[in-house]
Amino acid sequence: MVGKPISEHVNGGTNTSKTTSPKPFSSDLLSNLSFKTLKLKTKQQELLIRVSILCLVYVLAFITRLFSVLRYESMIHEFDPYFNYRTTLYLTEKGFYEFWNWFDSESWYPLGRIIGGTLYPGLMVTAALIYWALRFLRFAVHIREVCVLTAPFFASNTTIVAYLFGKEIWDTGAGLVAAALIAICPGYISRSVAGSYDNEGVAIFALLLTFYLFVKAVNTGSLAWSLASAFGYFYMVSAWGGYVFIINLVPLYVLVLLITGRYSMRLYVAYNCMYIVGMLLAMQIRFVGFQHVQSGEHMAAMGVFFLMQVFYFLDWVKHLLSDTKMFQAFLRITVTCAVGVGAVALGLGTASGYISPWTGRFYSLLDPTYAKDHIPIIASVSEHQPTAWSSFMFDFHILLFLFPAGLYFCFKRLSDATIFIVMYGLTSMYFAGVMVRLILVATPAVCLISAIAVSATIKNLTQLVRAKDKVPQTGSTKGASSAKGSSKGSIDQSQPFQKNGAIALLFGAFYLLSKYATHCTWVTSEAYSSPSIVLAARGAHGNRVIFDDYREAYFWLRQNTPPDAKVMSWWDYGYQITAMGNRTVIVDNNTWNNTHIATVGRAMSSYEDEAYDIMRSLDVDYVLVVFGGVTGYSSDDINKFLWMVRIGGGVFPVIKEPDYLVNGEYRVDKGAAPKMLNCLMYKLSYYRFGELTTEYGKPPGYDRARGVEIGNKDVKLEYLEEAFTTSNWIVRIYKVKPPNNRW
Amino acid sequence: MVKPSSSSSSTSQDALALFNSLRSAYSATPTALKIIDLYVGFAVSTAIIQVVYMALVGSFPFNSFLSGVLSCIGTAVLAVCLRIQVNKENKEFKDLAPERAFADFVLCNLVLHLVIMNFLG
Amino acid sequence: MLKLLLAFLTLTLPFLAHSFSPDHPTDRRVLVLLDDLAVKSSHSLFFKTLQSRGFDLDFKLADDPKIGLQRYGQYTYDALILFSPTVDRFGGSIDLAAILDFVDTGHDLIIAADTNASDLIRQISVECGVDFDEDPSAMVIDHTSYAVSDSEGDHTLIASDDFISSDVILGSKKIEASSILDNAPVLFKGIGHTINSENSLVLKVLSASPSAYSANPNSKLSSPPSLTGSSISLVSVVQARNNARVLISGSLSMFSDRFFRSKVQKAGSPDKHEKSANEQFLTELSKWVFHERGHLKAVNVRHHKVGEADEPAIYRINDDVEYSIEIYEWHGKSWEPYVADDVQVQFYMMSPYVLKTLSTDKKGNYFTAFKVPDVYGVFQFKVEYHRLGYTSVALSKQIPVRPFRHNEYERFIPAAYPYYGAAFTMMTGFFVFTVVHLYNK
Repeated sequence: MVGKPISEHVNGGTNTSKTTSPKPFSSDLLSNLSFKTLKLKTKQQELLIRVSILCLVYVLAFITRLFSVLRYESMIHEFDPYFNYRTTLYLTEKGFYEFWNWFDSESWYPLGRIIGGTLYPGLMVTAALIYWALRFLRFAVHIREVCVLTAPFFASNTTIVAYLFGKEIWDTGAGLVAAALIAICPGYISRSVAGSYDNEGVAIFALLLTFYLFVKAVNTGSLAWSLASAFGYFYMVSAWGGYVFIINLVPLYVLVLLITGRYSMRLYVAYNCMYIVGMLLAMQIRFVGFQHVQSGEHMAAMGVFFLMQVFYFLDWVKHLLSDTKMFQAFLRITVTCAVGVGAVALGLGTASGYISPWTGRFYSLLDPTYAKDHIPIIASVSEHQPTAWSSFMFDFHILLFLFPAGLYFCFKRLSDATIFIVMYGLTSMYFAGVMVRLILVATPAVCLISAIAVSATIKNLTQLVRAKDKVPQTGSTKGASSAKGSSKGSIDQSQPFQKNGAIALLFGAFYLLSKYATHCTWVTSEAYSSPSIVLAARGAHGNRVIFDDYREAYFWLRQNTPPDAKVMSWWDYGYQITAMGNRTVIVDNNTWNNTHIATVGRAMSSYEDEAYDIMRSLDVDYVLVVFGGVTGYSSDDINKFLWMVRIGGGVFPVIKEPDYLVNGEYRVDKGAAPKMLNCLMYKLSYYRFGELTTEYGKPPGYDRARGVEIGNKDVKLEYLEEAFTTSNWIVRIYKVKPPNNRW
Repeated sequence: MVKPSSSSSSTSQDALALFNSLRSAYSATPTALKIIDLYVGFAVSTAIIQVVYMALVGSFPFNSFLSGVLSCIGTAVLAVCLRIQVNKENKEFKDLAPERAFADFVLCNLVLHLVIMNFLG
Repeated sequence: MLKLLLAFLTLTLPFLAHSFSPDHPTDRRVLVLLDDLAVKSSHSLFFKTLQSRGFDLDFKLADDPKIGLQRYGQYTYDALILFSPTVDRFGGSIDLAAILDFVDTGHDLIIAADTNASDLIRQISVECGVDFDEDPSAMVIDHTSYAVSDSEGDHTLIASDDFISSDVILGSKKIEASSILDNAPVLFKGIGHTINSENSLVLKVLSASPSAYSANPNSKLSSPPSLTGSSISLVSVVQARNNARVLISGSLSMFSDRFFRSKVQKAGSPDKHEKSANEQFLTELSKWVFHERGHLKAVNVRHHKVGEADEPAIYRINDDVEYSIEIYEWHGKSWEPYVADDVQVQFYMMSPYVLKTLSTDKKGNYFTAFKVPDVYGVFQFKVEYHRLGYTSVALSKQIPVRPFRHNEYERFIPAAYPYYGAAFTMMTGFFVFTVVHLYNK
């Protein structure tokens, strides 16, 4: 087919400033080469534009996450990623079978931890596979570099999946916009920046992939797509505990479709194959085990499965029977029986305890006040606090008001796929409001729905703009037909300011989107690229001061303590101590044993002699505390101390929180409670601090993090001695003395 | 259970009438579909036998029990999906080639059985 | 010149070879610090018993400026005897901290205090867990158990036979008198002390009788005495956690020749003993203090799985383990196997999961076998053997215990055969079905 005289018409959605026109480039070449062979048809132009946009978005998603690597160095951030890094290292060194059966005697001393059975292996296996693939291609990379860059790599892959998903739900334009939005959205960047080697980096990719494959299966009714979505679900289960969201959202979606009468045979094929094969695959992960048939959180899926069987069976019988009256009778009998049996089974299961109720972590999503009263460990994590509006704005920016607009568009064109995305968006937004860290789960939905809004709006606007162009070329009668697809209602074409209005709105839209891009980059640079193990501050002359105290302390531990030394610290630092200091710890971030953590909390909050007995019973050799009084670092142990008291007091009633407060107020200065001034944590933090002048013009012993002068400056330690204090006093290590020789 | 108040004889008559009409409607289905239905019935009965066995003996190797039961249920479900796709009366699937449907079915069953083998213990 | 050097070396070599070492725990070189060199002769019997057993006694005045326990970082003496109750400051490089360091590095100490004991002696004793009466001129007075004597009538010379019942500390020979086979009491004249009942390292070897009290004999009692009864200890020993032994006595004169040779008659009892038990008592006690008795060593701790020879780095739950240990006792000249039936080993993780008494072959070998419990974690093989008078044996060896690997479970469980059968039936059914379905046309 010979190409007709091509104008600059480009079908499909256009995007912001990323559109590149191949025209000038190819016209140069055209002059040298044959006209027909190189001149691109419209379809091919469109393909080229799409591919180039996707490539640019892919690269953009990767490079926008590299701020901390460029500013500091390629290192693992935060706390949890250190555990993941250590396990990945173990996997690459010892092989898969050792990893699967790994029993770690170096953490949670003396209880040990079966790591092989209590982690989600997806992330580690993924990184190990990438590492082995690169090694096979003779790239001599270190596993740490692979770990650091895994999350940005998968973020890029997520943009591709977002494109495919958008194409499935709406059209290619929406897909491209979705890919671009999710590439830089801060809600996703926060957990997938380079160095943040955490489950979510891979899990969001798996989540979106599963949803895309499932929607594709529902749309096509093919068993192959359904099988693919089961594999996607398996990958998600292996990667993150948040897979519970999938196993509850999909049945809810099926239920909604059944209730609204939109069900079809394709739904049956898609859901059943995915559920059975997905459940079987998921149970291969040791950590998940039999939860799919035993845990209350997974019962919805099973219930919907049985409901579907009954539903479709009735549908088939109805099809077989021509007599409706008989069918009604049959229907009534079957439904009552089914409901009765189901209710009895569920009741028996829950009452006998076989079906375990919703665990604390997930129950606190339904009842946000539950954790604060009953499980202080969950309530103490800062990521589990409810979300403030400012967080929403910070993480979503313009997507926040594009989201309702997109919902509107979806409702105007309801189909199986749009119903799914609407449900995903609404449920994930509810959960994002309950817990800050779940903004991450909402981000893909918000990006997709906003992409629909953006794409549809811009499409309509450009059609309006182009419609005005066509009018002079082809005649005024064509004007009416250009109103197709415009969901803004019928517009009066003949008014000339329509075109100007449309152009103005287009510019407005481009302006908004460019502001979004600026905001996202600024947020990434300022807020989400800090490694949190290396702290930076501005010095007095504006120069940047780096505090590398954490690593200094961990390497001191590694090089100056006996290999079987046991270190007691608050659970936040456990993973880092094991990974970088290579020493046994008493408790770490896995927080699986509350009593053990409470024992440590009790030791930290007791007087020195009681704490000494507890430490001797746990064979502790060194105690590590984090102290921010000299640098003004506010995430130190004294600020976390009340949580230690609460958690310790939750198991040992001898520790009472009011003992440490004065009139309900938490103080460390002269007016502080006497138990506070003499507890172990206070002594270990402020030992020798009373002689130190921290700020010009303030008395010695002025605590810069709390802004007060400390109450007890003359700290004497009887059972411990100071082993090491880092250069900025951030990490302090004490040695536990053996019992006195003569008494 | 809500039932129209009638004498027991009319209930049994209703049931008999229901049963007969079902039977006659069912005998009109093509043989290929009947074979699939037979296969499904075989799978479901095996599943029921296993559940009864588990109720008697206890669920000690729970993973074996689950893999046995789920292989039966999985087989049944996949066969029903095949039936849906192959059934000429379903308008949604009229442009799906039965070979493609069967190929998907075989693929899913292969995966199912592989996972069952791993899970069986 | 060379010959002289060779001669010198050959002369001193035996001396060097006999110094204190873990293989040869009896002390050899003893520093004796005296207030007054007359003590050397007035207590000569006691010193002779020591020297006859092979000890090298080095007599020095307590304020001699050249005395020192260490030279160039090495201890030049293995034990210290302080017969200087009134010294206020030691000469040379010896002071409270040096003496405590000496004990804390495993060396033994004998302290004798007396009336008007100095603060320094009191402080050393306090650091070892023994509290002397605060009144500097107080003495132990007993109006019912005093020794009948012609010269002293203020009942400060007491005859006590309230010994600690321990054959290890006091030797297995009963303290005999010459004519009557009866326990002779020990003569004591000096100050009393108490020990803290919570301190498990201190033992009262010779306590006062219930009628004793501690007061100044030359002045009237103005208030009831603070130390009374049998809580007053006359002679105590301390065995520190590093097995250094300290003997603290409230009387220097009980070591004297006069007391060794004197006749004893306890008030209120018709028995007249020809000789007091002081010599035997203190000789046996010094044997114990200088590690000639009651010194155990536990060596050669081995654990392995039944059927294997080498020690694994990690056990598995429900493994069968054999544990063996060798315990020897030092008998003054050589190591003999220690025979007892109450040595126990614990398999311990915050609480003992397994507690077994080790069986012995009477040649020093102790062994047992047990099954690792069904709990995983980091366990310790703990042997805690603390018996009165013996050095404490506290061994602990850490070993992790892992759960089953995924391929260590029973391979085919008979109860699950129906499920295996069902799965395979499904597979064959699928195969048959495909054949039928494909060739149905």
